[in-house]
Amino acid sequence: MNYIFHILIFLGIYSILIQSLNITMGYTGLISLCQAAFYGIGAYITALLLLKLELNFFIALPIAVITTVILSFIVSIPSLRLRGDYFILATLGFQIIIFNLMYNWISLTRGPYGIPGIPSPEIFGIKFDNPPKFFILSTAIALLTLYFFHLITSIKFGKILKAIREDEIAISTFGKNITKFKITAFSIGAGIASIAGALFATYVTYIDPTSFTLNESILLVSILTIGGGGNMKGPLVGTAVLILLPEILRFLAIPDSIAANVRMMLYALALIFILIYKPQGIAGEYEPK
Amino acid sequence: MFLQLLLNGICASSLFAISALGFSLVYNTTNIFHFAFGAIYTATAYLFYLFYISLGLPQIISIILSLLISALLGVLIDLIVYQKIENKLNSPLAVLISSLGAYLFIINFIALLAGNEVKIIEKGITQTFQIGSLIITKYQLISLITFILIFLLFLIFKKSKLGQILLGFSFNPKLIEVLGYNPNFIRIFVFVTSSILTGIASIISGFDVGFDPYVGLSVVLISSVALIIGGVKIFEGAILGSFLIGVLQSIVIWKLSARWVDSFVFLLFIIFLLFKPNGILGKKLRVEEIK
Amino acid sequence: MNQNNLKILELKNLTKKFDGLIAVDNVSVDFYKNKITALIGPNGAGKTTIFNLITGLYTPTSGEIIFKNKRLNNLRPYQIAKLGIARLFQDVRVFQKLTALENILTVFPDEVGENFLDGIFKRKTTKLREKEQIEKAKEYLEFVGLSGYEDHLAGNLSYGQQKLLAIARLMASGADVFLLDEPISGIHPKLIKKISQLILNMKEMGKTIIFIEHNINVVIEVADWVYLLDEGKVVAFGLPDEILYDDITRKVYLGV
Repeated sequence: MNYIFHILIFLGIYSILIQSLNITMGYTGLISLCQAAFYGIGAYITALLLLKLELNFFIALPIAVITTVILSFIVSIPSLRLRGDYFILATLGFQIIIFNLMYNWISLTRGPYGIPGIPSPEIFGIKFDNPPKFFILSTAIALLTLYFFHLITSIKFGKILKAIREDEIAISTFGKNITKFKITAFSIGAGIASIAGALFATYVTYIDPTSFTLNESILLVSILTIGGGGNMKGPLVGTAVLILLPEILRFLAIPDSIAANVRMMLYALALIFILIYKPQGIAGEYEPK
Repeated sequence: MFLQLLLNGICASSLFAISALGFSLVYNTTNIFHFAFGAIYTATAYLFYLFYISLGLPQIISIILSLLISALLGVLIDLIVYQKIENKLNSPLAVLISSLGAYLFIINFIALLAGNEVKIIEKGITQTFQIGSLIITKYQLISLITFILIFLLFLIFKKSKLGQILLGFSFNPKLIEVLGYNPNFIRIFVFVTSSILTGIASIISGFDVGFDPYVGLSVVLISSVALIIGGVKIFEGAILGSFLIGVLQSIVIWKLSARWVDSFVFLLFIIFLLFKPNGILGKKLRVEEIK
Repeated sequence: MNQNNLKILELKNLTKKFDGLIAVDNVSVDFYKNKITALIGPNGAGKTTIFNLITGLYTPTSGEIIFKNKRLNNLRPYQIAKLGIARLFQDVRVFQKLTALENILTVFPDEVGENFLDGIFKRKTTKLREKEQIEKAKEYLEFVGLSGYEDHLAGNLSYGQQKLLAIARLMASGADVFLLDEPISGIHPKLIKKISQLILNMKEMGKTIIFIEHNINVVIEVADWVYLLDEGKVVAFGLPDEILYDDITRKVYLGV
């Protein structure tokens, strides 16, 4: 039974993560190779605030989000006013650096040894320390995030993001400051990804840098492309694929040691296949331009 | 001390420059951000290990075989993935995403077969030579000499008719046909050459420090940053950028540690983005080309 | 040309070079408020480049662009647009995956709803304003004859319909000066009359129009003033009748 909750919790966490990329890439057309870095920053900051400063999860969460957003400006402000390639490269560089920091800043992050013993979230005396209880928290936050997305994309803001994705030059000739919108979208994506990180850290209670590598960032891009971006449905389909595929592999009795690699290879193949035959993904509307 | 640092930097840069040349070749002629380039770098090292260590073949044979297969791999990626997508969608971003997919696939395939641990080709301490007060290792020397040879080849090729089209400032695919070359063969040539270049760098580096499935990442990062800070669309720029990065790396290693090199490369990149997005040699690219 | 008319846009010695190729060569042109000016000339004469320069997509190599007494030279495209210049692209460029209605909604200069926080904290006001904007957008669609297509994806409309949508989008921008790049090209003859009429309607609404066109009849029917360009230079200018039947024009177009 716990197993099912476990799956559902990860469904929630990953849906938040993929929605974060959806705002940046699916709606605005910016391919980010550093969502895993933001995910990781959220996780590490939350873990450290909970352990070292003994803050409450619900106080640490907004701090983690704000910090991640501020860090995202390092990437977005210099590169978004320039050509698309530069931005993608900047996200690549940022991803590599953040991983480097997690791995090498041992005094802060304990490097490859990771951070164990992360406390569970608690509020008003309720401690979310087992799967069924955590499921309630993660689902609540996932639904709130989904609602947040709906709120911001159903107004003009969302439409302009899509216009930028479709033809950024055209929309800029109608008076819209596309750089400002892009930076905003990217920041929102960063902040949301960090929320997923905070949940992840407090659920698995041990984090290390290997969960936040470039591999993961590329995986997220693949999943968004496969499921489809630019609307609310696509990411949910993508998340389902992401969560269910490993379970299917487990069913086929593929040994755990190579399961991770096989999984990645299958996603990579699916990605290329989708790009060739259905570039808007299974249920999305964004097609890479 | 300073001279030693400079020497270290220059030798490291030599390998970067070789890869950067390969990366730029693809980018400048096809406009493809060949992320899978990193996978080819990695694959060559593993192929060499397979032939030289696992199968015990002679060094030269192993090198030739690895580079050949590497070249084949590069061409296959282009034919099976890039061109298919280019024909379907007129979208450089889609090609980039597919390149990420190709990278992911190959790296995980390698990790699947060979494991995640670092592989070593040459055990023991590397031979060093003394020149005056400077020390240079065998592999630093090899890197430097190889780079000089390749650079000379590059210069000679640049003078040739084909070289002028391929390596000129504005690559023009139509011109290629007009001059009687088959564009398909040219494209294959581009991918073959780029794979061989990075393969060479990979093997030398493999001898020097070993490798694991993730070494290709740094290579893509450094090659693309070198290209940009040196000046996009200019091959000499990529080389210049590589040397800048190499010297920076050497200073970082001395002052801090090797682990922070990538971060400083990124920092350098950001600084260039902020102040000189055209790159050092960048012909004052029109604003509309960068924005 | 009545010299009492206000100059709204001036190109002064405008030059644009691309790697040694001179696309626009020392062009000096004045555009007058509420007039329709046509730019004609063979392909490659520099007309679209001039549009790109005015709208800020290109930076001038030398010379100046003055709009309402402001120097446009180094401004970004969105800043120039905000001052009151909007453009119809030769290749239309409507937002394919947005509906016809959304295409228009995105360009309204009113910034309510453009801040994502408005969606959360000022939702009621935002939604109310949106309702008003939807009504206005529908009017624009009606103006160009696309009523009923509000919820159709722009990408699903025919080329001619997309052109009409682009015109509606132009009107919604609230700009004073419209740059139309070959508004008539590639559309069904039946639509030509309609678009010509729309251009005249725009003038009646007080807009200033500059358009690039190859169709002689439309130019005669609609333009107040014509500039003939060739190889980046202004070769002749004057009333439509004068220019269009002139020998120079024939020479420039046909090389005769």
